[in-house]
Order: sequence, then structure tokens, then C-alpha cells
Amino acid sequence: MKKIFLISIVGFSLLTSCRKEEIDKIDGPSLEDLNGAFSVINGLQSSKDSVDFAAGETVYFTAEIAKTTPWKLRVVGMTSGAEKIMTGTSKIIDASQTLWNGSTTNLPMFRSEICKVELTFPGLPDTLTAAVKVINPKVNAGFLISDFETGFNPGWTSFIQSGADMDFQIKSDVTAPEGNAYYNMAGTVDWDWLVGLINFKATAYSGATVLPLTSNPNNLYFNVMVYGEVGLTNSLVLFQFQEDEDANGTFDSATEDLYSHQITIDWVGWKLVSIKYSDIPCLVNGSPATANGNGQHNSDKINQINMLHLANPVSGFAKSKLDYIIFTENGPLNP
Amino acid sequence: MRFTLYITLLLSSFSAFAQEGKKVQFVGGARSLLSHSDFTSKTDVEDTVTSRKMTGGYALIDLGFKINPNATTEILGMIRIKNDFGGFWGSGVNFDVRQLYVKGVAGNVLRYQIGNIDYKLSPYTFYNHNADMLVQSTASLKIKEDILNYETFYKNNTWRQQGAAADFALKFPKMIQEMKFNGFITRMNPTNMTNILERFYGGGNITIVQSKYFTIGGNHVSVFDLKQTAASNDAYRNSVSTGTFASSMEFDKIKFGIDGETGFSNSFSSQDNEGKLSDYFVNAKLNVEAKKLGIKFNLGYMDNGADFRSAGAQSKRVDYNQVNNYYDRYTNAQIVRPLSMYDLYNDPTLYTSSINTGIMTYNPSINNALPYGTATFNRKGIYSTLSYEDKKKIVAVSATYYKLSEIRGQGTLNLKSFDYLKGNLVFDVSNLLKWKLKQIINVGVAYQNTQRKSDLSFETISLKSTTMNVGVELEIVKDLSILGNAFMFSSVGNELLPVRNDKGEIINFNPYLVDGQELNISAGLKFNFSKDVYLACLYEQNKNNFNTLNPYNIKQLMLFYVMKF
Repeated sequence: MKKIFLISIVGFSLLTSCRKEEIDKIDGPSLEDLNGAFSVINGLQSSKDSVDFAAGETVYFTAEIAKTTPWKLRVVGMTSGAEKIMTGTSKIIDASQTLWNGSTTNLPMFRSEICKVELTFPGLPDTLTAAVKVINPKVNAGFLISDFETGFNPGWTSFIQSGADMDFQIKSDVTAPEGNAYYNMAGTVDWDWLVGLINFKATAYSGATVLPLTSNPNNLYFNVMVYGEVGLTNSLVLFQFQEDEDANGTFDSATEDLYSHQITIDWVGWKLVSIKYSDIPCLVNGSPATANGNGQHNSDKINQINMLHLANPVSGFAKSKLDYIIFTENGPLNP
Repeated sequence: MRFTLYITLLLSSFSAFAQEGKKVQFVGGARSLLSHSDFTSKTDVEDTVTSRKMTGGYALIDLGFKINPNATTEILGMIRIKNDFGGFWGSGVNFDVRQLYVKGVAGNVLRYQIGNIDYKLSPYTFYNHNADMLVQSTASLKIKEDILNYETFYKNNTWRQQGAAADFALKFPKMIQEMKFNGFITRMNPTNMTNILERFYGGGNITIVQSKYFTIGGNHVSVFDLKQTAASNDAYRNSVSTGTFASSMEFDKIKFGIDGETGFSNSFSSQDNEGKLSDYFVNAKLNVEAKKLGIKFNLGYMDNGADFRSAGAQSKRVDYNQVNNYYDRYTNAQIVRPLSMYDLYNDPTLYTSSINTGIMTYNPSINNALPYGTATFNRKGIYSTLSYEDKKKIVAVSATYYKLSEIRGQGTLNLKSFDYLKGNLVFDVSNLLKWKLKQIINVGVAYQNTQRKSDLSFETISLKSTTMNVGVELEIVKDLSILGNAFMFSSVGNELLPVRNDKGEIINFNPYLVDGQELNISAGLKFNFSKDVYLACLYEQNKNNFNTLNPYNIKQLMLFYVMKF
């Protein structure tokens, strides 16, 4: 009994004496970092003076401040007004947080232009600045239906109602979200929902009867940039995707699938709208319905895309603009 | 080696399986509560939004069918029928399954239980610490705590889980007396088939009893995700392995002992090797008992590593992320009324029965020294308990003092120190005066002081809290008692509360400033129809000024009828 008891005491003493000191470790961020005085140790710097995003180049920005602080880095295109915004909370700002591949946070997209870079700290007056020149903007991978830069493709067809103030045409000005051109759709039609439409036929591209797209509808994304006018919320844009399932070169609405993506334009300014092709429903008068064909999204059998501008006939003048209609794979467009 | 297999009866009531030869028995309980409350708050502008008076209540019955199809099997199914007052004839009536299990003995060797199991192992592996009620309850406070414990299945520090448990024992003729084996497995959460994997919690222990003077044991528990049960490959694991021991020497007048537990933990996600946490702990104490004097003394040392994680022992009873169900908002601005001690004693829905793998939120004013009980990580120091109980059972007094500190600083190299003193005095006047009518006075106190000294003002911490309860139970005629309680909770000072991400890592600190007091005075009558059936009428007033701009006052009249059968 006594022996076991003594062994227990010795064992206990050994156990309690083996803790490794943790004098140099702390849990969490340093309070001194969080609460100390703010000051700039190294100012904002760009890793390059100029960058060619089209060639796959990237650029990053660095700075160092005295305490861990929330920050906001804003790159603004001096010509386009495009914005790239990056945020974080740290005392060292480096490539791991600020690597830029030319993408934009708020449309329009960047162009070949000088960009101003601003580093600000919410709640603090300090603003650090730098500049970088975009030699060539980012090129997006995907199948481009149109960016309207080269005019109206003769392979497309269109129908425009004979309403009042009709203005269906490609326009060029600095407000385009990509390049210089976009398609304007405006007018008043007080007897029909349809204001006007364009048919993007597959034959207008490579001559084939279907668009050259992947057969995996879960990996294919349809993207379009849409502009909402100030004070107008009556515009609807309907994209219809006709599938030539029997590969006979024509679409039969009674026996083949027609999928439709309806966009209600209730915002102001340019906005990127993206949707996975397999998520696009079949609609009849705006309500989900059963497709008339095989009911499967055959993205490699799209032979025509119809872009319809709709508005309630009693709602009066309707207007919207569209640009950069593109299919991408592996994810939505990151412009 | 020859040994004999036999069954240890560790769980209660097993021997009563067929004691009366009944195949089916009805067990359960019934309770009814009727309450009327009056809420007032002090504001610059009169509160015209909050409903001041509220009347409500419920009646419920837990009806269990205990079926013994044979002498070694017991099946229990218990349903709850609850009716909120004012909701008769279907409306407001709830039916729930409250308990469901099968237990029995297989082959006269292995005892098992499947379904609901109430389980615990050791304080560092699987244990339901009560870290938020620091003083012993008596009188009216005890009625509330008993109801809380009944509702949440908290009893003897067990956790109510769903799964299976088994135990058996081996008895030896020499060298060692016996070896006990326990094992359990429970399901913590089901998969959602996408990003949440099926999660289980299992483990067991082996206890070797060498003699009545020496016992040693090994415990192991593990939270683990079952891979391939969802699209995610990020499987979490928290494993804790510990050893326990107890050794003693006994003489005529005095008894010495030493006991404790030590072990280590590993926590990681399969796709986050950098976030792996491993650490160990030691907790042991020396015990001295002067048998004839009724005095017990112990002196212990604990060292719980900063990265020691044990989901089954560090899960809290109270979920502080919950909001009150009762006067949840007040004032014209309808500000949120934070959880108070009043709510912790009155609302069982604030408690959880699940094991939580994250680090749960706690209230530093209530318990900053050991917010997760004895298994709290990042604590080291000494503790000591002195207790005395006279032979006539007139006075029982005990006091425990912890002198602890952090092991690793939070946001700084400076460490917090914790002083924690808790004591309890039970004075049995009836035993002193040799009255048959029970007269009990109980005083409980808990005091905590957290300090962190630094030259930098933003690192300095000073937080002091006191919890005190004085309760009396005076039996005036047979089975009729007057109950009285004065409960006080106060806290003043500051803390910096860690803000953690999903992985439990500290990403920031939120300043916590407190200067308030809560006072609850209650009195009432309790009539015992029998040991398990009573009727109690209580009136209480609760004043809370933790919100200095909007202190509030709750007056409440309650009528309880409680029955167990």
C-alpha cells in the first residue's frame, strides 16, 4: 500500500514538471498591432509600371503599416472608369492579397489605359496612391456571341416593331462596358409585349448549324452585360436557346427543346448577368413549363439564340442596352 | 490465468428489471406551471411598446412504457404531451417522443443500451460540467434547477446522446481485483449529402481495480467524420486519450490519497494540416481526511494546455448564442434583453444537449476562471478544498479556492491570472434542535477575480464577479414548507473576449465592459404530497441593472405542480 502510494506521488511530481514554457507564443493577433498607433512604414508600390494582361501578365501591390488594420485597395481606369477593389485586414499588404489579373469588380471592363491605384483605411484619413498602365486589357476565354464592336453580323436577323421612338441599333461611346460599342434597344409599343428582337443564328459564325459549345451543360455559363436606365424598370430581356436535337439543321418548336432566360431589368447601370446553361428553364409566357423535346439541356445543339426586348404595353417607353454576350466554361465570366 | 466473468451493475435500476414480475410498467412524470409576470424597465421615455404583464403556463405529462419482454431486456418508450394553457382541444398541444431505448444483458456477460443513453467518462474526456451555476441551489432556486435538469437530462454530469453503449467486467482471483470495460458510440450529426459528413462520437475506458487502495484506468474518446458520406473530403477529428489513477493509504484516524487524470488531445481536419492542434493536460490532487473530525482537505495542481481540445468535456450546457424566449426585447427601441441568471434558472430552452466541436461562447462575468469546467484549456495553477461535516449533520461547510493563470497569452505575452473562491454552508437547524420538521439554511458564494497587468492600457484586464445565494427551507407543519431565496450576482470590470473563426482560431478581440448587479428575491410555500409529488407557489422579484441605461425589474408569481411516477 505504502509503496504504491509513494510511486503515485513520484509519478505525479514528474507529470506536473514537464510543461514546456510558452513564453514566446500568443493566441490570436497581437493587441499591440490592433490597438497601437497607425503609421505607414512602406508606401504603396506597384510590382510593375505597365502590364499586358492579354499576354497573361499580372501585377501586384505592396505596402506595410505599423498595425493590423482593415484596408481597401481600389484600382480605377482613368479612361474607362472601371474599378477593381480588393480588401483585407493586415499590417503587410503583399502579392498574396493584391495579385491583379486585369479583372474588374465593377463594370465597365478595363481598357488599354492608365490606372490610378488607391489604398485607403476605413475610418482613417490616410490615402496611399500609385499608378499602373494597362498595355492590353484581359482577354476572356469563351465563345463570344457578340460584343458589337464589328457591327451587325449579316448572318443575324432582327425584327423591330413600328412603335414610337424606336432606337434599335449598335452605338459607340465611352459608356460601353467592353470595348466601345453596345446594342441599344428602346421604344414604345403599346399593343404588344415585344418591342424588338435579334436572332443570333449559329450559321452566322462558322457556318455550322449549331454553336461550337461543350456538350456538358453543367460546365457551360451564359453571360451578358445589361444596362438598366435611370427611372425605367419595365424592360425585360428574354434570351431563348433553340436546340436542334435531331441535327436536321432546323428547330421544330413542337418536338425540340427551347430554353429561356428572362431578365427583369430593375437596376441602374451596367450589370453582368451569368447563368449556368443547365439552370436555364423552359418557359411559356414567363412560367416554367415542360420542354417539348428530350427535356435535356443539349448545349452542343444550340442552333439559334433569340434576344427579345419585352415590355408591358401599358408601361410606356422601355429601354435597355446589352453588351458582351459570351459563353464561358468552368465558371461564370470574370470580366 | 483463471478469472471469472461477471456483470457490473454500474447503471441504475437494472436490477429492478423484473423485480415485480411486471411485463409492462408506466413510468414518467407530470408537471404544470402557471405564471403571471410584471415587467418594468427604467427608461427616459416610458416604455409603451413592451407588454408589461404576461400570464401563461402549461401542463405536460411524460408517459413512458417500460416493457420487459424477458428478465434481461428492458424497452422504454416515453412520449410527451404538452398543452400550453389557453390551447385546449388540439390547438397548442404538442406530442413529442422524449425517450426511447432498449437495454439488456447479452449472454449474462455484456450489458448494453441502444437508443437514448446518458453517458459520461472522465472529467477530461466526456463529462457534462456545470460551469454556469456556481452556487448550490436550495429552496425555490432548487425547484427551478430540478426542472432544468429534468428537461435537459442533466444528471450526475452525464450527456444525453443517441447511440449505443456496452459494459462488462472481469474479476480476478489475485493481483488485481477486477477490470471494468465501457464503450459507447453516438451519432453527432447526419450528413447533408453535400458538404457535411456523417459525424460520430465514440470511445470507452478500462478501469483496473487493484485493491481498494489503488485504481488505474485508461480513457479514449474521439469525434470523427465518416469519409465518403458526403461530397466533402474535409473530415474532422478530435481524439482525447487519458489515464486516471487513485491511490490511498488509510490509518485509524487519518486517510491519505492521491488521484488525478492526465492525457493528451489531437484535433485536426484532414485538409488542414497547418491547423492541427495537439496538447496535453495534468490534473492531480493530494487528499487528506481526518476521519473522526469530519475534515477533508485536498491540494491539487492542474495544467491544461492551451491547445488541449476535448469536445465531450468542453461543450457548455448553456448556448449563449440563443436569445431569450421571455421578454426577449424591451424599451420603445425594443433592445435585446441579454441572457441573465434569471433566464438561466427559468428557461430550459437556453440549454443544449449536443456535443459541440467548436469553442462555445461563454459569459466572462459568470465564470471566467473555468468557463468550460475543469477541462478548460489554457489554464494552470493550484487549487484546494477544505470541507467539514459534523457527525450530527448540523453543519456542512466546504470551500474551494483556485489560483490559476493562462499558459499562453491572448493577444499579448502577458498572462491573465484567475482567483476563484467558492464556498457552501448548510446549516440544519432541525438536526441541531432535534426537530422532526426539516429546517435548512444554505449559503453559497462564488467569487472570481481576473487580472492582467500591462504597461499598455489596452492590454489591462480587471474583472470581478460575485455570485451569492442564501436559501431557507422551513417546514412549518408536516410536508408544508416555507421557501425563501436571496440570489445576488454582480460583476464589474473589463475583459477582451476573443472572436474566433470557424476553425476556432482567434482573429480579433471584442472589448467587454460590465458594471451591474442582478438581485433575485423569492419566497413561497411548498407542499409535499409524497416524496415525488409536490405543489409549490412562489413569488419572486428580479432586479437587473447590467444595462445601466435601461435596468429592468421582473415580478413573477408561479404555481408549480410536479409529479414523478
